[in-house]
Amino acid sequence: MMASRANRAIAHAITLLLVAFLTVGTSADATEKKTLRYAFRTAETGFDPMKVYDRYSVGILENIFDTLLTYDWLARPVKLVPLVVEAVPEAEENGTRYTFRLKRGIYFADDAAFNGNRRELIAKDVEYAIRRFRDPANRSPYEWLFENKILGLDELAEKAKKTGSLDYETPIEGIRILDRYTIQFRLKSADYSFLYIMAMPNVVPVAREVIEKYKDDTMAHPVGTGPYMLTEWTRRSKIVLERNPGYRGHTLSTEFADPNDPWDREAIKALAGKTLPLIDRVEIYPIEQEQPRYLAFVNLEHDLLEETPFEYIEQILPNGKLAPNMVKRNASVFREEQLEITYDLFNMNDPLIGGFAPEKIALRRALVLAHDRTQEIDIVRRRQAIPAQSVIPPGVVGFDPGFKSGNFLDYNLPKAKALLDMYGYIDRDGDGIRETPEGKPLIITYKYNSGSQDQRQLAELWAKCMADIGVKIETAEAQFADLLKDKRVGKFQMASSAWIADYPDAQNFLQLFYGPNIDQSNDARFKLPEYDRLYDKAMTLPDSPARNQLYREMSRVLLSYAPSRFGVHRIFNHFLYPWVKGYKKHPILFTSLRYLDIDVAAQKAGMN
Amino acid sequence: MLAYVIRRIWQMIPTLAGVVLLIFFLFNAVGGDPALVLAGKITNQEQIENIRKQLGVDQPYPVQLGYFGFEIATGFTCTYKSFTDPDRAKAKGEGKAAECQSVRSWATNEEVPKILITRIVPTLTIMVPVLLLETIIGVLLAIGVAYVRGTLTDRMIMMVCTVAMSISFLVYIIVAQYYFGFKWGIFPVQGWTDNFWKNLTTYAPLPIMLAVFVGLAPALRLYRSFFLDEINHDYVRTARAKGLSEKTVMLKHVLRNAMIPILTNIGIALPGIFVGSFLLETFFSIPGLGREILVAVNRSDFPVIKAATVYLAMVTMIINLGVDVMYKAVDPRVSFK
Repeated sequence: MMASRANRAIAHAITLLLVAFLTVGTSADATEKKTLRYAFRTAETGFDPMKVYDRYSVGILENIFDTLLTYDWLARPVKLVPLVVEAVPEAEENGTRYTFRLKRGIYFADDAAFNGNRRELIAKDVEYAIRRFRDPANRSPYEWLFENKILGLDELAEKAKKTGSLDYETPIEGIRILDRYTIQFRLKSADYSFLYIMAMPNVVPVAREVIEKYKDDTMAHPVGTGPYMLTEWTRRSKIVLERNPGYRGHTLSTEFADPNDPWDREAIKALAGKTLPLIDRVEIYPIEQEQPRYLAFVNLEHDLLEETPFEYIEQILPNGKLAPNMVKRNASVFREEQLEITYDLFNMNDPLIGGFAPEKIALRRALVLAHDRTQEIDIVRRRQAIPAQSVIPPGVVGFDPGFKSGNFLDYNLPKAKALLDMYGYIDRDGDGIRETPEGKPLIITYKYNSGSQDQRQLAELWAKCMADIGVKIETAEAQFADLLKDKRVGKFQMASSAWIADYPDAQNFLQLFYGPNIDQSNDARFKLPEYDRLYDKAMTLPDSPARNQLYREMSRVLLSYAPSRFGVHRIFNHFLYPWVKGYKKHPILFTSLRYLDIDVAAQKAGMN
Repeated sequence: MLAYVIRRIWQMIPTLAGVVLLIFFLFNAVGGDPALVLAGKITNQEQIENIRKQLGVDQPYPVQLGYFGFEIATGFTCTYKSFTDPDRAKAKGEGKAAECQSVRSWATNEEVPKILITRIVPTLTIMVPVLLLETIIGVLLAIGVAYVRGTLTDRMIMMVCTVAMSISFLVYIIVAQYYFGFKWGIFPVQGWTDNFWKNLTTYAPLPIMLAVFVGLAPALRLYRSFFLDEINHDYVRTARAKGLSEKTVMLKHVLRNAMIPILTNIGIALPGIFVGSFLLETFFSIPGLGREILVAVNRSDFPVIKAATVYLAMVTMIINLGVDVMYKAVDPRVSFK
């Protein structure tokens, strides 16, 4: 009897335990985390905003930190809006003064550096961050943003070079803390791009306590006021972001949405009225090889495939239409014209192809005209590019859709040959290669990045096209770092290049040919007083028809003197499964995590 | 034997010094300018000079070499400010003090010793099973093939080995990842976790299988030749004449004598397991040393590249010593001189 009672008690206990276990299991299911998994195509370097510049590291920063200004998520062309400031400041005193008023009650994510206190964002954090860009100890790759810009800052940086450390205390004329939440910048000269700079994901307020606490490894300890926190980081292998529990929340603005854009409509349907962010956890895997990155998506290991490898585009998007397996899974593709340009540089200091003598200009223009861009787009770029008309890509402020390069960039073999003939580049010895007017063979070396298959094919295309006009191109591959060095010091004749917008203003592209930028970003070493004058004048003007007219003139000058062959603006295809909601790629911001949602049930069902 | 070991260790010092010199001059002669990689998209000469100064690459070669030697010996990098930056040292009164810190990656600021320690675990998770399986399967198959030498089986296996060796490792990886990972879903396409057992049982099998398959063909051909060399010796004929079974002849006499060249071969291959395969690691997203070195090369991250190279040289020398000592265990006739 006793034994049977004991058995019954044990049976009850087991049943209760089972029920408890199942209940816990059910409740865990009910609160299942929304997790997004996807890959970066290149490894990150770290997460100190002032120390990194690769777009993948910066993409993570976008979610951990808040910029003062940002871009409206749906507006196209892009539109600046306030993020942690009350309003987008007006340019004062002819573009030389800007005043930012921070919103109150914005807090950094909890961190040991704050000793258990909530740490509010204040104007001093902005000042500290800006000064960090000029601290030589940080070797900031974005130091140029604040060079020759803010009154007193250059002097401070100069002093720091002598003493080894930057003075973060002494007030300077160009940065004034008006009160706890207000900061004013005074610039050396007019700069109407300054607001764009203040919207760059690197230009974010940081807390001095955090930087000082983790001074030995600030790359691994990003603490910001943004919606996510870095909770796990296996370098170059896995990055995990989780929702910042102390984040204030934000909403999707629909004010500038395009009712005819299906992506806008879907985003509004998924996100409007909700407090964002909605995703709890984001797992990002840097995968350098294209095949595993592609297969991880089609194998449902990832939810999103951004920057789809060009070599797989015909498999997943044959003839511009979704492949049947993707249709079956109800996947969709977002096609994004990159705010970038690919171009080939001519070294303006090279005795063979550089200079401003008429025959040199004719030679460069002939090379440009003999390059078959249709083959570049159709074969090498797999039709995922649009031809550039100038150095300015569509979508940036100052882009003129009516501007056509016409007979400067279009493939025209007879004209190329005629130009060469006219200026004395003739094949005198009958070996199939033209000679210069001085009688030297017309052999040009083209340098390209050995790490890229596309670059190799483009080099081959150059060689093939130039052979058609009797010019011999010798291709020379170089490691990325070596190519960078050779371009910066002018050790090349021709070299491949590309520029991605730092901010959406044509000035960011036109500066590539500004004379004073030789040894900085003007790798073609193009120095023409006429161009520099136009550039200087444009810098004094806000966005206006007058400035656009100057931009047009500068574009014409570049086409005429041909210090470069302007190639294409690439199109990137971003694929997503139907459980990823609210997706829209922003042309300047690299990630969309703030504005995404995951339908967990659909995700589970889809994966099964 | 102890005297022999001590003598060999003593001999390692000049060898290592030679390696260090070679690495140093090789990177300074042909390497890209790391300052340019770190400087960002827009920079000027002054900033580049500042970065070069901070990295110490603006110093005369003998000074840089001295730093390099010190870094290898201690794992720390120290600079006397009075020497490298007299103006600053004077301003800050740093004449005598040396500033020391752990050697760090120029690109990520991560401590280099930490990089090596953390990346070696995934590498070994793949490469140790590869070496074990490759050796065991290779030896067993080789002894079997050697036993049936000259038959159709022998010829067929050798032909398959020749074909297998003619195909690039990259092709195997791409095809196997596509079919085993994606098409048939037997293994995950890629991935890695912090859990050793999950890695070993879930993510490592396909890379291991591939590396074993690719390594097996040359190993099998080589080991077969070792066994055939032994089989033709007089002592084998004598053993058979004594009436020993074929099993005893092959596994006791032939195997034992063939183990010397096999051990030598393993000894040559062994250092490779401590570096890993950058192809496997990049294709399967394994955060190992091979992948790390590849990324470091792309970023001109010299501290990481130099540390990995010196580390590999040291591992190679130590393994060579270990293999030489093992000869004695395998063959008592070997004497240390």
